[in-house]
Amino acid sequence: MSSVLTSMPRRSASTLGHKLRIAGGVVISLVFLFPIYWMILTSFKDQVDIFTTPPKFFFTPTLAAYIEYMQRADIVNRLINTIIVATGAGLLSIVVGTMAGYALARIRLRGAATFGLLILLSRGVPPIALAVPMFLVARKFGLIDKHITLILAYSTFLIPYVMWLMRSFFMGLPRELEESAMIDGCSRYGAFFKIILPISLPGVLSTLIFSMILAWEELLFALVLTNRHASTIPVAIAGIAGDTVNGANWAALTAVGTITVIPVVVFALLVQKWLIKGLAEGATKG
Amino acid sequence: MGTVQIRDVRKSYGSIEVLHGVSIDIEDGEFVALVGPSGCGKSTLLRMIAGLEDITGGEILISDRVVNGVAPKDRDIAMVFQNYALYPHMNVRDNMGFALRQRRVSKPEIAERVDNAARILGLEQLLDRKPRQLSGGQRQRVAMGRAIVRNPNVFLFDEPLSNLDAKLRVQMRSEIKELHQRLKTTTIYVTHDQIEAMTLADRVVVMNGGVIEQVGSPLELYDNPASLFVAAFIGSPPMNFLEGDLLDKTTFALDDGTVLTLPEADPKGRTRATIGIRPEHFTIGATGWPALASVIEPTGSETQITARLAGKTIRVLIRGRTSTLPGETIHLNVDPQFIHFFDAAPVPVVAEMEDVA
Repeated sequence: MSSVLTSMPRRSASTLGHKLRIAGGVVISLVFLFPIYWMILTSFKDQVDIFTTPPKFFFTPTLAAYIEYMQRADIVNRLINTIIVATGAGLLSIVVGTMAGYALARIRLRGAATFGLLILLSRGVPPIALAVPMFLVARKFGLIDKHITLILAYSTFLIPYVMWLMRSFFMGLPRELEESAMIDGCSRYGAFFKIILPISLPGVLSTLIFSMILAWEELLFALVLTNRHASTIPVAIAGIAGDTVNGANWAALTAVGTITVIPVVVFALLVQKWLIKGLAEGATKG
Repeated sequence: MGTVQIRDVRKSYGSIEVLHGVSIDIEDGEFVALVGPSGCGKSTLLRMIAGLEDITGGEILISDRVVNGVAPKDRDIAMVFQNYALYPHMNVRDNMGFALRQRRVSKPEIAERVDNAARILGLEQLLDRKPRQLSGGQRQRVAMGRAIVRNPNVFLFDEPLSNLDAKLRVQMRSEIKELHQRLKTTTIYVTHDQIEAMTLADRVVVMNGGVIEQVGSPLELYDNPASLFVAAFIGSPPMNFLEGDLLDKTTFALDDGTVLTLPEADPKGRTRATIGIRPEHFTIGATGWPALASVIEPTGSETQITARLAGKTIRVLIRGRTSTLPGETIHLNVDPQFIHFFDAAPVPVVAEMEDVA
């Protein structure tokens, strides 16, 4: 009885707090979403509307930038390249990184901690310092302008990333799960593939998505290691932005930017439901 | 045949030795409890039997085969963990059948054995649930079900009841005992709770600091503790200890000057000793050691009296009820056969065990 009486005012207070939190969330989301909104808006403007002050929110939309640059910047081909490279690098990194992360989390090896730290430290090297050596190596092996080259190059920074994320994920799982599986008849590999991996799928999947996004937006290595066949979308954007002859074409820039973002958004929406379901399952591990 | 022989087994982590040569022979069908305070090495020993920890020295034999280098999956053992370690992505049926699937047992046979185990444990209604949809007691039962479908040579239990509340713990304790009487599978059971060890096991192994203090049946340990540690560890409420000098066979001078007259007992040649008397072995009479009652705790069937004797707090447990009031002096007597003599030493601090209701 008394708990019902006392909980009444507390609940209305928490509803107010709840509303405030939601309002805060909306404001923060708007701040983050506005540049994307502005990019999409700008991509449909003509050159005059883009530079009007104050900026125009209502105007006659045009697809001119899309039509012109689909051709000029070879967008379809580059989009396909980007998908191949991001998927390839993402998958390679998730396979190697997940298994390495598991080994670091669980298997007692002399010097494992030092080894793991060294791999992490390798990420401290600025990519620009690696770009030229990588170019020279790739040229030596005849690997310039090939998908596999970018996939391998991206894996150099994605594998450490995946490895460390997955390591902490695995460390959060009770050790007894594998021990139980190993007593039940599994080898270490069997326990990993039959028990640990299925439980970790939400973590693996979200790490895979982040890795693919990192590969998707990578510019430096793509710029150095490809020229035509395997070139990716960020290279096209950089090309338009750095067009010193015609000046920066904002409509083209935002149009290609929008095209770059769309597959990521669609992909995220597709896996979102599964991701949330998986995360909720992982949260209450038996 | 599920015998287990542990021969001078040692375990070191780097230069730190945590098990200093432990030997136990466990017979087929026996229920053995390893009990001791945390850090005594009991869980490490169990994990070495399971194959989850390397054996630094000595040998472990399961069914007369040395298993030092044998993988856990090839030792034909089943283990129940403290946190149950149920596979969260599988339902109860698949959890229980997992080990059989690993051994490529035919599907109909798996179904039969899982159903059978489920019936024994009363899990028939829960077979399609995921572990997260089960209560603590149900998870515990599934973990045991997963072990019994295997029909292994040896069951290993690692503090299986520690995560349950007191009432459920008592219930599961008797279920485990009943299960063992029914299946007669060799069982090694690790616990820090001496009551669990005493009530469940045929034989109890008391460990402390990486060595075995004493091995024996529960009542042997209770009646004839081999060391002060075992005496202090086994029994609830714990044994009372008094340290002093034996002036002659019947005169015991405590360090504060109080002289107690002992009934004639055999101190085995000691002149200085710690004597131990269990709370229930005191009787209250018209004469005897005078003690000042401070707290009277009746539970109906028995009454616990906390009293001061020669400046020491002692506990006295008597059958039935008493008219003694706090502040009154009581006179304590003890049958000589119930006086335990130990070499004089400080009483080991045994972590106060949680009383099982």
